Amino acid sequence: MKSIISIKTIVVALVIVMASSVIMNGCKAPEEITSKSGTQLWGENCTRCHDAPDPHTFSDDQWDVAIEHMHQKALLTDTEVKKIVTFMKSAN
Amino acid sequence: MKIKRVTLLSLSMMAAILLGPVFSTYVYAQTDSIPNDSVIDEAPNKPQGGGEKFLLAGEVFTIWQNNHIHGLPSTNSFGADPLGLMLMPLVKLNDRLFLDVQVVVNANPGPGGGASVSLNEAIISYRIVRGLNVFAGNFQPRWGLYEGVLDDFTNRYCSAPIGMGIGAQTESGIGIQGGIQTGYSKLSYQLYIANGPQLLVDSTGMQNGELTYANYTDNNKNKAIGGSLAFLPFSNSSLEVGVSGQYTPETGDAGTPFENIHSTSFAADLNYYHMFSPVMLRVQGQYEYTQTQNFNLYTDATNTTLLFPQFNNQIKGWYGGATLRLSGIQNVFLSDLELGGRLGELVLPQNVMWGGNLMNQTTLCLTYWFTWKTPLNIAYDIYTQAGSPTQTAITVRGMWFF
Repeated sequence: MKSIISIKTIVVALVIVMASSVIMNGCKAPEEITSKSGTQLWGENCTRCHDAPDPHTFSDDQWDVAIEHMHQKALLTDTEVKKIVTFMKSAN
Repeated sequence: MKIKRVTLLSLSMMAAILLGPVFSTYVYAQTDSIPNDSVIDEAPNKPQGGGEKFLLAGEVFTIWQNNHIHGLPSTNSFGADPLGLMLMPLVKLNDRLFLDVQVVVNANPGPGGGASVSLNEAIISYRIVRGLNVFAGNFQPRWGLYEGVLDDFTNRYCSAPIGMGIGAQTESGIGIQGGIQTGYSKLSYQLYIANGPQLLVDSTGMQNGELTYANYTDNNKNKAIGGSLAFLPFSNSSLEVGVSGQYTPETGDAGTPFENIHSTSFAADLNYYHMFSPVMLRVQGQYEYTQTQNFNLYTDATNTTLLFPQFNNQIKGWYGGATLRLSGIQNVFLSDLELGGRLGELVLPQNVMWGGNLMNQTTLCLTYWFTWKTPLNIAYDIYTQAGSPTQTAITVRGMWFF
């Protein structure tokens, strides 16, 4: 039971650190982030779990659906989803 | 203990205040230099489309396994008799409304053949505003890194980690979720209310104290509340650190002495990748536990050999692994090979029929990627448990995600 209490304390501390860092960062995305292309977001986000998918895998409409599935599963931001979908449709 | 906790929390706050500005500069430096190809991004003349859109995705897989328990002859088996099929019909009803279903089709190996169909998930989600989606249905909650995220073709270690499967599993409920850009970093969150786990209690005592999920109907009036929070500090999203939790105030059947037995589950996870050219390194790990309130569950047991009715109903597990892949070399064959190693542990309760001694797992796995979603895995697992012979398994798994 002792180890559970200390783990809980550590988790609370981690959450506080995360939240505080976010506040320090500020919520508005800087230009270096907002100017990222769909290509770059595709490479960075998809690689978290699997290889960046080949744009030729699906058609335009299918990419709309597939990326929305990943939007909900990987909890991507709305901006990331929009840019990645645009890139996939232009590259397939 | 209280003073120590307050001190720790205070130190954490100070660290955040001091490190925040430094962190925000450092995390941007982690961005990989991928060229900004604005020409590719532009698609001004392509029609936007509209209306309902459908995609039938899924996966087909086959698993062959050779199991060997020390001192006994080895056995061979096909894990999916011989093919497993998961179908995932996805429907984008409009820009805000999305339907996600997952069913598993299993062949019936018994006399007469046939097949069984089981529902894994059926989720409807609606985007309210940017970063806020409401969802409802039968869903696998965000629970660490493994369940529902890295448990299909993305599992580079082939076999399931021994310490997982504890805590929140497929549930019926409603919730909110989303991903939010916060400066250079990102946050993702999920918060839900669900039927929660149900406590198993019967007169034989065989499963007393275990929790079961996937309950379409609730066994009492109280609901479980759960959620997860993940932090991606680097601007290239290469590192994700998350925590998940679920609290169920009542797990027992309504009207029984066990109704008010509560349960708490917690998980922490880490997912990191980085290209140390030409090698791609991935590091993944998860820790989770479930503590169900200690209670004498054997009051009506018919088995008089149950001499220890009280036990500490806690299950803990963890795994940690890393993979290496020569993604940056010219040779196509070698660049599609990925070598992985993983350790894991499962701690079950003592003095209970479904419990046992500490179990350890060591895994080595080689994966060949035919495409980004079609792996062939060959894994070697070693399972050890105090008081039991060592067990080894060789697993070959082919998977095609379509």
